[in-house]
Amino acid sequence: MKIVFYTGKGGVGKSTVAAATAWQLSQSRRVLILSLDPAHNLGDIFRVTLIDGEKRLSENLVLREVDLRKLSRAYLDREISVLSSTYKYLQVLNLDRYFSVLKYSPGIEEYALLTSIEETIRESRGFDFIIFDTPPTGLTLRFLALPQITITWIDRLVQIRRQILERRHTIQKILGPPKDGEKNRERILDYDENEDEVLRRLRSLGENYQALNRILRGDMSSFVLVFNPDFLSLRESQRLIDGLRDLRLPLRMLIDNKVTEDNREMADHVETVLKDMTGGLPVQRILLSRALSADASRLRDIPEDLIYML
Amino acid sequence: MALTCVELRELENIFALLILSSFVGFSAPPTFLSVELLPYMERELRILNQRAEDASDMLAELVGTLGID
Repeated sequence: MKIVFYTGKGGVGKSTVAAATAWQLSQSRRVLILSLDPAHNLGDIFRVTLIDGEKRLSENLVLREVDLRKLSRAYLDREISVLSSTYKYLQVLNLDRYFSVLKYSPGIEEYALLTSIEETIRESRGFDFIIFDTPPTGLTLRFLALPQITITWIDRLVQIRRQILERRHTIQKILGPPKDGEKNRERILDYDENEDEVLRRLRSLGENYQALNRILRGDMSSFVLVFNPDFLSLRESQRLIDGLRDLRLPLRMLIDNKVTEDNREMADHVETVLKDMTGGLPVQRILLSRALSADASRLRDIPEDLIYML
Repeated sequence: MALTCVELRELENIFALLILSSFVGFSAPPTFLSVELLPYMERELRILNQRAEDASDMLAELVGTLGID
């Protein structure tokens, strides 16, 4: 299975290029194309209506749009039910519903996005290719950085937690086993690393993120950068290349979209700059198609070969 | 022994403080990390609260640390 992410500035044609690629691939392989952009338009591109965010377009091609709001809500509902069962007494006063305010916490959406990528990769073994159409640069870099940031935090927290457990163990050893009927709170604290719920939770989260990072950085994944032959697109692409490099994510292909007779010179320039910057990655040029701007479903007619590098 | 107890309490205090740092104005860990751990942190939260309450009473703190009844 291969995983391909299409990234780039807003409006350069990521979704269209991703969709065209998915269509070309689906002629011989099983393909899942998934939109992570909150402003979905996969359905519009293929001119179909998605039911529950999903649509099987042909034997080999499945479209899916991720509903971020629904995802974050589902995730928080799970957490809130754990919270509510821990603080059960609040139900008596009917206070437990106040936990629901958590859904407004910043950062939850990125996390939900990441969880959805992880789940998709885990559950879609039946496909040869998974194609992700990502949101514009800023949000994409932010959620792609999340695994590393989280791992760093988890490592630190695990360190502190282990020190806590060590102290608890020491105290336990000094005090000795509890006498009958004694109710000393300090004595019944978990000190075993395998029993402490907080440490267990931290560890399992940490492992999830390590696994995800391995997949995103590994041979299975490719990042494709889509850009247009103009100055703004060039600048943002440079930032994106830097960002991906910092995160050690594998950029493998550049696509110069919407090239015309008029901007050919600029296209040459932008391609040269980006090629130099990435150590000579292959560039595919796509000519602006008048037919496509009128009717997106004509993406089947795109003559350029978008899949030979994948 | 008393020292270890104090050390433990302070570590737990720091742990809770880090998890909830966004509420006291530090830079926070990713929000969901706090959300994930919150259900299991009743004890740490209680210590955090106690420490905040006792913070102004240095003498009591000292006497407590030294184990003087």
